[in-house]
Amino acid sequence: MSSKILSLIGGDADVGTSRIFWVGFVIVVILFALYPTQASEFRASNVAYYLLNIPLGLGMALLWGYCGVLSFGHVAYFGIAGYAYGIIAGNMAGNSFGPIAGVLGGLLASALVAGIFAYFVFYARVREWIIPILTLVLTLLLETFLGQTAGYQWRVGSVLLGGYNGMTGIPSFQIGSFVFMGYSFYYFCMVIVLVCYVSLRMLVNSNFGQVVFAIQQDPLRTETFGYDIRARQWLVFVLSAILASVSGLLYVQWGNYITPSQVGLLSAALPVIWASVGGRTSLLAVVIATIVLNWVTFTLSAQGNQYAMVIIGSALVITMLFFPRGIVIMAAEWIGRFTNRPTKSTGG
Amino acid sequence: MELDPLALSLIYQFGTNAAFLFLAALGLIVILGMMNIINLAHGELMMMGAYVATIAHNQAGLPFPLAVVVSFFSVALFGTVLELLIVRRFYGRELGALVVTWGLSLVLGQGTFLVFGPFMPAIKIPGGSYSYGSFSFSEYWLVLIGISIALVIGLYWLYRYTKYGLQARATMQNAEMAKALGVPTSRVYTLTFSLGAGLAGLSGALLAPTSTIAPFMGQQFVAPAFITVVVGGAANVISGAVGSSVLLSAIKTPIGMAFGAFLGTVALLVAALIIIRIMPNGISATIQKLMDRRRAASIS
Repeated sequence: MSSKILSLIGGDADVGTSRIFWVGFVIVVILFALYPTQASEFRASNVAYYLLNIPLGLGMALLWGYCGVLSFGHVAYFGIAGYAYGIIAGNMAGNSFGPIAGVLGGLLASALVAGIFAYFVFYARVREWIIPILTLVLTLLLETFLGQTAGYQWRVGSVLLGGYNGMTGIPSFQIGSFVFMGYSFYYFCMVIVLVCYVSLRMLVNSNFGQVVFAIQQDPLRTETFGYDIRARQWLVFVLSAILASVSGLLYVQWGNYITPSQVGLLSAALPVIWASVGGRTSLLAVVIATIVLNWVTFTLSAQGNQYAMVIIGSALVITMLFFPRGIVIMAAEWIGRFTNRPTKSTGG
Repeated sequence: MELDPLALSLIYQFGTNAAFLFLAALGLIVILGMMNIINLAHGELMMMGAYVATIAHNQAGLPFPLAVVVSFFSVALFGTVLELLIVRRFYGRELGALVVTWGLSLVLGQGTFLVFGPFMPAIKIPGGSYSYGSFSFSEYWLVLIGISIALVIGLYWLYRYTKYGLQARATMQNAEMAKALGVPTSRVYTLTFSLGAGLAGLSGALLAPTSTIAPFMGQQFVAPAFITVVVGGAANVISGAVGSSVLLSAIKTPIGMAFGAFLGTVALLVAALIIIRIMPNGISATIQKLMDRRRAASIS
């Protein structure tokens, strides 16, 4: 049983199957775990922000890289979960079960919207370019809707939606009387990200993952083998929406606010950029790209640099032109050429 | 004959909504129909058209119709450059093309913001307005409806009676075969992309007086334009654009008038989801099928 789980985790549906790789992986995880002991609470909180975006990036990699379906609107589920958490936990303020109810409600709300939306697009068997367009339209409409909710009449219970200024004062996550803030929130993020990554690796190595990959390679052939591709595409879409909601929940627990621009056009571009720059066919490459690009954007915009979007947009164009499989993947292969030559192992 | 002002106003709203959707989607659908490429920088090309027209009209002092023509040609030229440098590497890779043009749209939007700042002085709406009962009708929108109809006729002529149109239709049906018969397909692609870009610029310039001129104004055209294209489909450019904008306007107009503009746009998305559930390849494919069946029936 345990060897089966190990082989699922270590399978070759993602890069890195060698012993050297896993040693490196564990070292990196330990370094991340030790980071708060060397850094101020402020810096740890910044790194927590880079980490909390990873599930959203992983969802993009699963959907686009492994299943071949591109969504430009996954931030919609990020936003729906964030707002739903804010409404539920905000109304139950003072109750220690409020945040947990908020998390469940947020995940459920996102999954519901994603499920209905995905039913229409996948069961209609639309052409592949239609899905990104419709997901984008959905998230833009959500932004427009949330943007006009300023004023006192737009409230749910005691929580104001807040229009373009967004929803503020969202409670942090807590279990019992323990509130996750600062260092403890950093570790909370880290554990969730690790769980997401490892369980997704198991998923893509499982039979289900193999079929999903086959759908990406050749939908017609997979279908003639007797697999219901629509149901699987639907499930993967909902799953990736849930991953996006995990990021959305962590985001509102981190900053205690959310604004409609989180579901706007510029935010919508980000997960696609992480997945393209990293290399959408590898979960780990997307994780690395998510951390690095978030660090770059955060540093640039913290300096008030207006060129951030130009730089990020150009990075996307350059990646698509010259590194179509992703910069991290192509760099890893390039390094692998040197490290693999003498020993013939399959590291990197 | 006395017309009910409300009915007249409904007809007018229907016409303006259809014209708006048609203008917003036209350049996009021309490119999609020919090359299977969705140009996500479409909104930014419209924004460029609006900027060129504003600068030509307000600063260079050109009359507005001339400024619109200038926008068409300058954005078409920009489109040619884009096609030659970037877009042509993505033929046959639909999703790659989507992503790369999205990157372009980010750069163009933010770049315009950095160069021209957050706002441009708007263009005054040319022409006056009529009032009838308690409703008023803008002359300019009536002209836009007329221009939309003229564009349909012009495009029909272009695709039906010119050498470019013949080659374009041949390339659309079977690119390999067209190439074997001596059609310069890559030049046809370049011309089509710049035509689509130019039409986006033209629409942007025409719609400029009706909206605020800002770097991110392209975003407001994204949702309506893409819904129109999705519903229209790519089987036939003209029937797709016309059929879809008329149908969607028939849905949006009553809902928009009764419940406000935002719910009108939501109704567009819901309608699009239901329509593609029934006609996955869009209205144009359905119309095409009906026409083929009629032709087959008349032959036998």
